[in-house]
Amino acid sequence: MFCRNQTARATVARGSALEMEIRRGKFRKSVFLDTSQDSDIQKKIDHEIRMRDGACKLLAACSQREQALEAAKSLQTCSTRIMAYMSELQRMKEAQVMQKVTRRSSDAGPMDDRLPCKGKVAISDLRIPLMWKDTEYFKNKGELHRCAVFCLLQLGGEIFDTDMVIVDRTLTDICFDNTIVFKEASPGFELRVELYSCCSEDDYSAGSTPRKLASKLSSSLGRSAGKKLRAAMEPGPCSPISNGGASPLLLPVPSVAGPKYHLLAYTTLSLSNVQDSFRTHDLTISGNEECSYWLPLYGSMCCRLAAQPHCMTQQMISGRLKVKQCGGDPQSSTKVYAVLKGTSLFCYHQQEDVEANIEPAFTIAVNKETRIRASEKDPHSNVQNICISNQYGGEEVTHTLTTESREDTHRWMEAFWQHFYDMSQWKQCCDDLMKIELPSPRKPAPATPKQGSLYHEMVIESSDDLSSTVSDILARRMQELELRSQLGTSSTWMSVFEENSACCPHPCTSHLSGPRPCTLHQLSRSPVSPHRCPQLALLSSDASLTSDSDSHRSTSPCSHHHGWPEPSSNFSLLSSSPSHLRPRTLSLDAKLSTLRGRGYGGGGTFHCSCQPPPSSLLAPLPISSRSPRSQRSTQTTLSCSSSTSSNSSSNSEGSHSPAEGAPFSRPSMARRSLRNLRARLDPRNWLQSQV
Amino acid sequence: MSFVPGQPVTAVVQRIEIQKLQQGDNLILGFSIGGGIDQDPGQNPFSEDKTDKGIYVTRITPGGPADVAGLMMGDKIMQVNGWDMTMVTHDRARKRLTKKNEGVVRLLVTRKSLEEVVKQSMNKYPRQ
Repeated sequence: MFCRNQTARATVARGSALEMEIRRGKFRKSVFLDTSQDSDIQKKIDHEIRMRDGACKLLAACSQREQALEAAKSLQTCSTRIMAYMSELQRMKEAQVMQKVTRRSSDAGPMDDRLPCKGKVAISDLRIPLMWKDTEYFKNKGELHRCAVFCLLQLGGEIFDTDMVIVDRTLTDICFDNTIVFKEASPGFELRVELYSCCSEDDYSAGSTPRKLASKLSSSLGRSAGKKLRAAMEPGPCSPISNGGASPLLLPVPSVAGPKYHLLAYTTLSLSNVQDSFRTHDLTISGNEECSYWLPLYGSMCCRLAAQPHCMTQQMISGRLKVKQCGGDPQSSTKVYAVLKGTSLFCYHQQEDVEANIEPAFTIAVNKETRIRASEKDPHSNVQNICISNQYGGEEVTHTLTTESREDTHRWMEAFWQHFYDMSQWKQCCDDLMKIELPSPRKPAPATPKQGSLYHEMVIESSDDLSSTVSDILARRMQELELRSQLGTSSTWMSVFEENSACCPHPCTSHLSGPRPCTLHQLSRSPVSPHRCPQLALLSSDASLTSDSDSHRSTSPCSHHHGWPEPSSNFSLLSSSPSHLRPRTLSLDAKLSTLRGRGYGGGGTFHCSCQPPPSSLLAPLPISSRSPRSQRSTQTTLSCSSSTSSNSSSNSEGSHSPAEGAPFSRPSMARRSLRNLRARLDPRNWLQSQV
Repeated sequence: MSFVPGQPVTAVVQRIEIQKLQQGDNLILGFSIGGGIDQDPGQNPFSEDKTDKGIYVTRITPGGPADVAGLMMGDKIMQVNGWDMTMVTHDRARKRLTKKNEGVVRLLVTRKSLEEVVKQSMNKYPRQ
């Protein structure tokens, strides 16, 4: 009559026979079966149900769209977790039942199947490219159709969700910065990645609109708008939990008003996808363009999937051994405390060395190429030896391990077999230990400057002696940049400039000379050293002064950078030592050359000398501190094309400039007025006028 | 002293009348202004609300006409001779103050201390 396996939603009357039977059934189960695992799962289910109730309440209560989306996301996660736990509970119960049955029917022998060790699997840096139509992507007007997306990652019984990201047509990729680590994964794991999305239209507060009104609206609105509204209103394909009777007390899934997430794409990753670097995987997309939650996915997903099996990170076995190397002194066998971990057997002198992190006495490799066998019984000592053979180079090296007792030998052999089995199961993960970065505690986002260019970070007080202030600022900036570049960060735009300067100077002069910020950018990227600062200051002040006067004319297409002994033809060397060799700008050089050519005549137009200076000016660079580099530069200069002859000549010109630094320091009246003009036009200055 | 777009701006103001002083070819008032809708309000050291793009007095020449008239550093100029100064560019503000045919400028300025004084006085004499 009552089948316990079927979900019975009928209420159970107190004191009724059914209730007694249920109670008795549970009681009976607990006596015979191990329900500790059951109760664990049950606790988890209860916890998730409570979380879900909380999320529902939050969803009903919150008014802001963002909050509602977050609450809906946690609701989705909780529901999925509950489903997973319930199915696991079901599976466990079935397994128990099966065990009972097999035990009754036949004496099942000892479990002979070897189980591979578990491991940690981490997925990070998820990136899903989008494929907007170019008309969509570049549209400036029109409403921004936004979707809230997040990823749900499931492995075994563990389910994690990523943070929610709002996506609109200005984004090219959906990036999730989270690193998700699954702790207990077997080598045959299946990591299911699901992308959920929910449209986040501000116009349609879909959840709260009553149906009648919504249908009226949709009929009165345009066809596509109405369709969108209706689609947003309908509940998604995530159906309520249908469970095969794990427990008679089944809670119905609450249907809450509010944003609902729909499955947009999914994929499954397994051991074959594990690699220590980024890989691209295909996504299966569910849903079509008509759905409100649609996003034009490119169809693939990039991520870094790493795995650390426990055999690589934990000690598999450890104990005292006597190790003898064949081919060495046959009588000497060293007593060691050996630890099997990862791909080696570490042999320490004493057990304490392991904790003290002292280097092991020696290490024997234990990897896929190693062969281990137990030798025949030694007739004298009645103890079996274990021989480990490795191929080092072309030679075979064998170590013989002797344990203290027969049981130990057996234990060690067992451990070795298990280790080999693990390595065969985990395949490529056992070649090298893959790094898994644990998610660090959230750092607050660094406060970004209002405008990102270097120019705007420079605060110049209006003072007469502009050159020293500028030099100080620039020196500081360059030190910072050098530090930054030493740490390895280099922005991509820098390389654009480097390349440009290396190739034809003509097209890039218009870039570099035109806007003022560019000039100063380049200034900051000039190589830094304390004794060069004064030169830099002098040159910079002039360059900046002249740049506004000839913002559009100006740079001689022929002259390359100079002043610093490293000519721009050193670009091949740039990549190797970015902190030291940075090209100077063309505009700066042009300015300098013109200034030098014309002396310091007051204001007025500055024309650039368009003819390359004669190559007879090619003089050895006088700055001795940089002699190796200068030699290099002359060599490269000579070997490069003809455009570099002006390079070197302008180098020689520039090299004279430090000697004549004095005239640069006192700007003339014309320059002062230019400076004032520039100061006034500087959008970053806060102008003050005297009245 | 921030403003809400669309709402009238209210402030407690003080009327200051400055007589321009002839100095050579120019008529000077003896103070400097900063601010304006084309300027970066974040750099205004005198404003309470760093989005306030109003015109502020940044410097007073000691002994000059403005000092004599009672203008103080940090004052926000709301009106000059009836012309509004809360929504002007820096240059327009300067021009309004330096008109050659005007010998007197009548400013309406506001400052924090004025508000406080009013508040205090209101507290002293609560409504009956």
